[in-house]
Amino acid sequence: MNSPAVYSGLAAEYDAISTTAGLHDASYVGRLTAIGEDVLDLLNRLSTNKVIDLDSGQGAPTVLTTDRGRILDLIGVANLGDHVLLITSPGCQEQVIEFLDKYTIMEDLVVKDVTTDSAMFAVIGPSSRSALEAATGTGLPDLAPYHSVRVEIDGESAAIVYRPLGQLPSFDVLVSAENAAKVWDHLRTAGLTPVGSEAVEIARIKNAVPAFGPEMGEPYNPLEAGLIGSIDFAKGCYIGQEVIARLDTYQRVQKYLATLTFSPEAQVSAGSGLIRDGKQAGSVTSVTRLPATGEVIGLGYVRKASAEAGVRLELEGPAKGWAEIQDIPQLFGPGQE
Amino acid sequence: MAITMEGVELGVTISEKAAEKIRYFASKEGLEGDVGLRVAVKGGGCSGLTYDLHITDQKLETDKIVEQHGIKVMVDKKSFIYLVGTELEFSDGLNGKGFVFINPNAKKTCGCGTSFSV
Repeated sequence: MNSPAVYSGLAAEYDAISTTAGLHDASYVGRLTAIGEDVLDLLNRLSTNKVIDLDSGQGAPTVLTTDRGRILDLIGVANLGDHVLLITSPGCQEQVIEFLDKYTIMEDLVVKDVTTDSAMFAVIGPSSRSALEAATGTGLPDLAPYHSVRVEIDGESAAIVYRPLGQLPSFDVLVSAENAAKVWDHLRTAGLTPVGSEAVEIARIKNAVPAFGPEMGEPYNPLEAGLIGSIDFAKGCYIGQEVIARLDTYQRVQKYLATLTFSPEAQVSAGSGLIRDGKQAGSVTSVTRLPATGEVIGLGYVRKASAEAGVRLELEGPAKGWAEIQDIPQLFGPGQE
Repeated sequence: MAITMEGVELGVTISEKAAEKIRYFASKEGLEGDVGLRVAVKGGGCSGLTYDLHITDQKLETDKIVEQHGIKVMVDKKSFIYLVGTELEFSDGLNGKGFVFINPNAKKTCGCGTSFSV
């Protein structure tokens, strides 16, 4: 990550993004440009959501899955008009390019990793929209996830992509590397609090956003990870579709991502096992402490039989205490019919 | 072993019945006489790769073209490596599957038979 862990103070930074708005250098998040006539057609054939009809300014989340229906990565597809932007998980650019290359046979498609050649600043928080409008002097239209608009910031061209952290609004401001410092300064001067990666990680866990590694990757399928809202069950075939459709139809999903709270005295870390009636019921994948209250919260995978809000699970030793399931989140809402 | 015709290695062989159906669909599109069939592979389908059939008279420089049962079967160079030795059949009847590919390169095939992996 090229963003500092903390700028001025974790509590103030987390307070900014959870109650007003903050500015985060998200340039470490993977970004690919895809150019060519067949970009959306190919992505539609290779991933879970329907992206073939995305017009300029529109976008959608979609999951690249293996032929066994496992997650290769969750990507945001944003049609920016002159190219399609693919927002990958941090560090996943190469594997996404390799996957697209593998299945590009006759298609007109050129994919380039622009992560280090450009910058992306996230304006995060409940009032991020009005803060960004004030900073840019431009009214923003209502944007669905991964929909975008082009604006000028301090005379420089930028694309704004709406990429919420679960229920928490967040806008990505994409600029060229040469304009990055100028745009960052402009947004800061407009009153946005710089926020480091630590506060954003707390917000990620609080808002139940799965991350590649702990919650997403080949051990998991999109239904387990709560990504059903990024699956189009009616669009036809894509890689892994047969497996995912079967899991859904026959209700064979074995575990679900859950938001967790822990007992006040709990000693817990990512990897801690969860026990119910003496049997394995899941494991904790991410843990954090809320700065203001000191409350420890987390994410974890729990077996289907226990995947219900209110269920209390014992933490397996050497961890101590209990975990309680708060919710079974669905990042992009329930499934599309 | 590669299937050859007059010394040319065939990417795809088509059965008499498949040829008959191709001519039928070509005539529905108003094409008579020489009929060209492009057989290609593209990414997608449940298993990773999927077949693509087109009736066309447009040839590519990199095509391997072999005439079978009056049909010019065209396979581009990139698709050829996935298709070499493939037989194209036509499965008729109420429960028939239509065009069916029997591809010796396919290690896995999806339930509906239109997608495969190598």
